[in-house]
Amino acid sequence: METTLEGNLFTPASSVLELRTVSCAYEPGRPAVQGISFSAREGEILCLLGPSGCGKTTILRAIAGFEPVRSGQLFLSGQLVSSPDVTVPTENRRVGMVFQEYALFPHLRVQDNIAFGLRHLVRSERAARVQEMLRLIGLEGFERRYPHELSGGQQQRVALARALVQHPVVLLLDEPFSNLDPDMAGRMRQELHDLLRRTKTTTVLVTHDHDEAFAMADRIAVLNQGRLEQFDTPEMTYHMPATPFVADFVGQADFVPGTVSHGMVHTELGEFPDTIECKDGTAVVVMIRPDDIHLVPTKGALARVLSRQFRGSENLYTVSLPSGQIVHSSQGSTSIYQAGTTVEVRVLATHTVLFRREDSTG
Amino acid sequence: MVTTRHQFASPLQLLALASAGIILLPLGYVTAQALSADPVVWQRLWTTRIPELLFNTVSLAASVAVVTLILGVSTAWLITRVEIPGRRLWEGALVLPLAMPTYVLAYVYSYLLGFGGPAEYLWQLAAGPQARIFSPHSFWGATLVMALDTFPFVYLLSRSALLSMNVSFEEVARASGVSRMATLWRVTLPLMRPSIAAGLALVILYVVSDFGAVSLLRYQTLTYAVFQQMTGRSDNTAASILSLLLVVIALIFLITERWFRQRSRFYQTTGRYRAPERHRYGRLGSFAVISYLGLIVGAAFALPTILLIQWSLSAEALATINNRFFGFVWNSAILAAGASTGGVLIGLPLAYLACRRPTLLNLSCLQAAYAGYALPGPVAALAVLILFTTIAPVFYGSVLILIVAYVIHFLPAGLQSLEPALQQLSPNLEEVSRTLGLGMRDTWRRVTLPLVRNGFVVAWVLMFLQTMKELPATLLLRPVGFDTLAIRVWMEASEEYFQLAAPSALLIVVLSLPALALLVSKDWRAA
Repeated sequence: METTLEGNLFTPASSVLELRTVSCAYEPGRPAVQGISFSAREGEILCLLGPSGCGKTTILRAIAGFEPVRSGQLFLSGQLVSSPDVTVPTENRRVGMVFQEYALFPHLRVQDNIAFGLRHLVRSERAARVQEMLRLIGLEGFERRYPHELSGGQQQRVALARALVQHPVVLLLDEPFSNLDPDMAGRMRQELHDLLRRTKTTTVLVTHDHDEAFAMADRIAVLNQGRLEQFDTPEMTYHMPATPFVADFVGQADFVPGTVSHGMVHTELGEFPDTIECKDGTAVVVMIRPDDIHLVPTKGALARVLSRQFRGSENLYTVSLPSGQIVHSSQGSTSIYQAGTTVEVRVLATHTVLFRREDSTG
Repeated sequence: MVTTRHQFASPLQLLALASAGIILLPLGYVTAQALSADPVVWQRLWTTRIPELLFNTVSLAASVAVVTLILGVSTAWLITRVEIPGRRLWEGALVLPLAMPTYVLAYVYSYLLGFGGPAEYLWQLAAGPQARIFSPHSFWGATLVMALDTFPFVYLLSRSALLSMNVSFEEVARASGVSRMATLWRVTLPLMRPSIAAGLALVILYVVSDFGAVSLLRYQTLTYAVFQQMTGRSDNTAASILSLLLVVIALIFLITERWFRQRSRFYQTTGRYRAPERHRYGRLGSFAVISYLGLIVGAAFALPTILLIQWSLSAEALATINNRFFGFVWNSAILAAGASTGGVLIGLPLAYLACRRPTLLNLSCLQAAYAGYALPGPVAALAVLILFTTIAPVFYGSVLILIVAYVIHFLPAGLQSLEPALQQLSPNLEEVSRTLGLGMRDTWRRVTLPLVRNGFVVAWVLMFLQTMKELPATLLLRPVGFDTLAIRVWMEASEEYFQLAAPSALLIVVLSLPALALLVSKDWRAA
């Protein structure tokens, strides 16, 4: 069996986790993920973001060692742990994992759950670590409770403590906030973020919620149908999406068609610089976010407000342009325009995101 | 692919394969014997006895299945979903029939419904001195006895399913405008299907391979015919042909049930459990429910027990209680304990592998274990005997052979409890354990085993109960003079010495009770 290890023995010392063109499949011929490459530095919080079925949980499980890797390589702390020929067993990887439903051992108390992986320590040391973890997660005094006597948020914190107490190489979280209500989730997110920063834990978080990804991650890997579409910081992912899918997934996006001519793109909403250097006559779409569009109510203008959605901090307007194209605009919380108001549409974008027409989802 | 990920394969899988092998060997013997028989013998049997025996066996199994389905599911539903006074007591009471062997119930009912018995007497008071009620030595008699004795299997498994069912399924249905009745029919019952199917499978297998009741009630099933062939004429050939047929029927059914169950595998959510809301009925409703439950428990357990006590207190019966009697007691207990322990130790790896790694091999091994139960007592006994005399004749005439026969014959009873327990254990728990640095063996010890402990205990108890009451294999394989209580009951009951058989019968029932108490007191939610 040929290996490509010889040529790639050098791995940057600072990357704690690295995937190189990793592919996994549950059955041969039907890959779950294909050609995934990314890496995580020490202390970094990475997010795997994508819709259901995109393969993000598969990647998480491959990092943990539950799923074998069909091609490519997976490195933890510079060591090869998964490849088509070799899979280091999970128990030797020191990865911490928190499942969506926490998987707390129902037959053990909180203190025994947390101390579960610490059998190799003496009792006093074990107890000290458990206390330290409980203090860290704010659950002192809860040692003797059973999992079914805890609320959802408390269970999650115990599951976290259990994973962190062994100082894992990387912490893996599978949709950790999907079981909590939004207020709770928001608070937990903040607390988790602080905790991870304090402990400098390298983390990989799986979610389908882009708000969560933006709030938590240092870098985001956006996945779609088993392929990595973009791996970037949250800001770059939002403002400079690499593909129309990413653009649409991480926030409200409208795609306005236009044509290239002499280095500029001509659209219904005005002209934009051609940033992807196409030939004259190429059909492209310009991605516009609601916060880029400003509405000015003007009598006799050609665009018209169709509906308004109040969102607390803003109003989201659906506007129809003369050609029938629909765009969205985000206006201030107190700017209220009735449906049917004619408006002038102005685009105030600081940069342009263009895609060729055949790539677009429209 | 040779990779380190298969570090777990060998020991457990070898154990499973070995167990499957031991169980399949008797089956192999029977098949070989039957297939090497003279075609003339086949011809004779096929035209004369087999149609009748087949019809009898299948129709009995079907009618018992229907009755136990109704009894078992209705009682389970009433116990878990309705507010009944004294519910805890009823929960216990409904399991009591398991302590009563089919042959004890059969012999009690052959008195109650028999010629000159109390039921006939009461009927004649109403309908005149020549009126007859149906004879217990008939299809309906056999159905009644078998159903009353085996419905607890369906009851227990249905109850377990209802208790561990996530209430939100029913709430979603009702929120969609579906009525209570329709929710029961379209949501609750389908979700219970695997457990109900498992219970019915056990019931039907029990009926098909039963010997005690059908022999006392003189109802000609295939199993009874096999026994008669072997003891009456020492004709192993005819016996093995009939057995083969029996096994084929059972196997067809087993495979169907297995397939059915494979299609619905649920994992218990580890989220918080919410107890289902209980219906409250008015006075009339509660009275109706209590009467229904009381009727069932009375017919299946209370009435027979009272009769047994009455008979045991008679002079003739009391005279039989001596040292010899206690010897029988000891024999029964040792055999049962040995068989159940061996059984769960063998059953756990089989069930675990089939659940976590459902490859064809593992599933086949599990199926092999179930196939053992399809071997009727007489055939399993004979085949084990031959096996030992060829391989290890030193054990001939010892208790070990009998225990092996018991394990082979009753392993499925234990598996029916081990399997659901394992299926309800989320694989996430084992995976988490591995992320915390524990290898498979430690994970088993600290996570899997404690959490399936309840299922384990229930499996042990169920096997203990079964082997205590076992009859035909014991009749054939016991060492000389090593009589059990079951043997005594049968010997005396077949001669209609109702009173003499009573103390042994009563004792079997009493000895089964602590085990039953254990069963009921364990929290079924974890199993």
